[in-house]
Amino acid sequence: MLKTFAGALVLAGTFAATGAYALDVDPALKDYKKKAGVEGSLKSVGSDTLNNLMALWAETFNKEYPSVKIEIEGKGSGTAPPALISGSAQFGPMSRPMKGGEMDDFEKKYGYKPTPMRVAVDALAVFVHKDNPIQCLSLAQVDAMFSKTRKKGGKEDVKTWGQVGLTGEWASKPISLYGRNSASGTYGYFKEVAMGDGDYKDSVKEQPGSSAVVQGIASDKFAIGYSGGGYKTADVKTVPLTAKEGGKCFDANSDNAYAGDYPITRFLYVYVNAKPGSKLEPLRAEFVKFVLSKQGQMGTIKDGFFPVPSAVASQDLEVLGVE
Amino acid sequence: MTDAAALQQESVPMSKSTGRRTDMRSRGEPALWSLGGALAIGIIMILGFLALVFSNGVETFIPKPITVVTGIDGTVTAGEPFRSELFKPTPEDFAKASPDWQARIKDANGYANRTLYRMGNFDIYGEDFRWVPDFMAAKIEQPHGLVFVERMEWGPFVGTVKSIKVDGVERPFTTLDDTAFVKAHETARDRSKAIRKIERVGINDVNHALEQERLGLRKVELASGRNSAEYKDAEARLTGISAGLQQRYDALSADVQKLREINAGNTITLAEIGGREKTIEFSALVRAYAANDLSFAQKAGVYVSRWAEFLGSEPREANTEGGVFPAIFGTAAMTLLMVIVVAPFGVITALYLREYAQQGRLVSFVRISVNNLAGVPSIVYGVFGLGFFAYVLGGSIDALFYPERLPNPTFGTGGLLWSALTLALLTVPVVIVATEEALAAVPRSMREGSLACGASKWQTIKYIVLPRAMPGIMTGVILAMARGAGEVAPLMLVGVVKLAPELPVDGMFPFVHLERSFMHLGFHIFDVGFQSRNAEAGKPMVFVTTVLLIALVTLVNATAIVVRNRLKKRFAGSQF
Repeated sequence: MLKTFAGALVLAGTFAATGAYALDVDPALKDYKKKAGVEGSLKSVGSDTLNNLMALWAETFNKEYPSVKIEIEGKGSGTAPPALISGSAQFGPMSRPMKGGEMDDFEKKYGYKPTPMRVAVDALAVFVHKDNPIQCLSLAQVDAMFSKTRKKGGKEDVKTWGQVGLTGEWASKPISLYGRNSASGTYGYFKEVAMGDGDYKDSVKEQPGSSAVVQGIASDKFAIGYSGGGYKTADVKTVPLTAKEGGKCFDANSDNAYAGDYPITRFLYVYVNAKPGSKLEPLRAEFVKFVLSKQGQMGTIKDGFFPVPSAVASQDLEVLGVE
Repeated sequence: MTDAAALQQESVPMSKSTGRRTDMRSRGEPALWSLGGALAIGIIMILGFLALVFSNGVETFIPKPITVVTGIDGTVTAGEPFRSELFKPTPEDFAKASPDWQARIKDANGYANRTLYRMGNFDIYGEDFRWVPDFMAAKIEQPHGLVFVERMEWGPFVGTVKSIKVDGVERPFTTLDDTAFVKAHETARDRSKAIRKIERVGINDVNHALEQERLGLRKVELASGRNSAEYKDAEARLTGISAGLQQRYDALSADVQKLREINAGNTITLAEIGGREKTIEFSALVRAYAANDLSFAQKAGVYVSRWAEFLGSEPREANTEGGVFPAIFGTAAMTLLMVIVVAPFGVITALYLREYAQQGRLVSFVRISVNNLAGVPSIVYGVFGLGFFAYVLGGSIDALFYPERLPNPTFGTGGLLWSALTLALLTVPVVIVATEEALAAVPRSMREGSLACGASKWQTIKYIVLPRAMPGIMTGVILAMARGAGEVAPLMLVGVVKLAPELPVDGMFPFVHLERSFMHLGFHIFDVGFQSRNAEAGKPMVFVTTVLLIALVTLVNATAIVVRNRLKKRFAGSQF
């Protein structure tokens, strides 16, 4: 997964942030142009990480097409495949790629696989309280904190901040763990990439939303937790991470994410039920086009995620047969 | 002396024995005290909770001054002070502090104060809140001329106004109260309203007509096949109609485009504290005020206009800004629909159980089941509602009446109707139990009197029993309403969504759309509190929405109680 991510981005090349914005979209992305006669209703069911982003897109899209009705529901990535299969949703935002089993269920009903669309880049952040002096963590250390199986090769169970090198009053303090609930794609992705598919400790406090994780950490000085990078507030800070023990640490910023240096970078997806060889009907096609346009990717920045490069966008548009 | 001693000797056992005879326990005082204590604790907790919610909710919309902090390292932070707290600076930070501050921190056992500023300008900074420790601030001031600008997108902007452009002509900016500025803003907002009206009414009509025709064609296709003559006719008709509609659509879009172009020529250029500039259209400006130069009346004006926006408009920016009108409407509509369903069903069931059914084992079993129904976790009702109402009932309705819309479900997914039915199921035990109690409380003599006068059983129930029981029944319905309006968990499964600005009642035939998903205040609180991007900015909105939900439930209950008391009075008059 990580390899495909880095590959895709190297392929795309990086672009420099310009202009007045803190972060800007790839100037090569297409401008969205309104089309006539788009009407109907859309429903999106899926990821909670993408919930706000879908809502932002829906709002902006609605400005262009006021008579389009868009409903957004986000209770976790796991809810997207069943909704797509039953036809109750046209879009299934997911913060992780669909699993084999979910793909198969879909294929059983429709005879083809659902099509993923990469809509944003997220540096999945490991957050600590803003007063925490920690400078860097390796994935093995993170794994030893969160996992009881320690598949990443940590030698001992890490229970206190002293075990990862903090001194003074921090040394003896136990680490308090925050994470997402198991319906979340963030839960699954972190488990896969940061923990080598190991098991979470029972002491991880599972939160119902990405923002709830950040709020939990904000009010707990000795906490650590993972959540979408876009949910950062002034009360928490992100920990720079390294894939290798003793390697250089990279912070969860856009440059490191695009270069593939930050070890738990991921794409966020929206899955679409697109029959191969046939065109999407105008409403869905326009929404897809909008999401992967300059205006749509502005929304990505607004929600705190990183926009996708134009090469990724045009690749996905091609797969979906949308011009 | 001896007398006294004897007296004392005597009196000691005496007092002991009297103490034993009328001790606290026999007088029931411990029970009284613990009951009173428990009640007091309960009331204090409720009042404390309400005070917390209200104080936070009421002050959220008060405009706050903008503070500019110049740091000792040269960074400048401008924003509304949000909250402050004590913390222990790290040794590195401590070393940066001036000797004077170092001494002060040492005096305070190593603690220092820091303040969180809401800086806004998220599009420029990439962050909108920042903590500044007191010892890092070289200068703290509240300069004149700084403005707080609320925008349609990207959240607030804090800074100064550089210049304005009215109809493409650059104008010097004086103050926010300047008539040129106010007028430019007003006309831009009017234009936006006009655009919205064209889009919502004109274009919506066109699109709706087109969609209806398309669905009609699909219906013909389903009924008589793609190669039939009817299909060909309908197809030809659709082509004709859609050409006409397309023309209307083009004309309307041209109007919108014209207004948009005018809007693009009316802009305001803002500069943040560091000098970086940003130009926005007047139409994207919600409200701007000079935060540090406001008089009391102006402050009140901003406060009132913020509440008006909150109550009357649609949410913006993924629900973190703007208003909650669709959520208020959804909550009210759902509760009303629920009462319409639950009241007759509950009352009829109770009537049958109390008045007609043979009292026996079966009836007591039913009664026990009803009582147990009240104890089932609400989420179970949600699962039932989704599985039975939405998928089974709704799926069948879709297959029977809306085959042309499939695979897009119409009733076969969560919606207002299914939510109301699920909550009706959840609250029906309350109504049944209350009604049964009320019926049982009607004196036997009254029934017998009525029967003795020759009234039939139904006449007795209709004219004697039900009116007498009405206040009790109303109490049950009120309780059911209160329970239903505050319930969120089952609704998340059967129709409440994060965003559904389309109201379930509108000007399109059939005017009431029971199949639509809706927004709900309770879910809105959960969504803003736990799912919004910036938890910090969302928190005040949580309190405001909670205040609103509590107020709404109180209002509904108060109305119902007034109605009940009127009924009571009316029937009291007809008593002997």
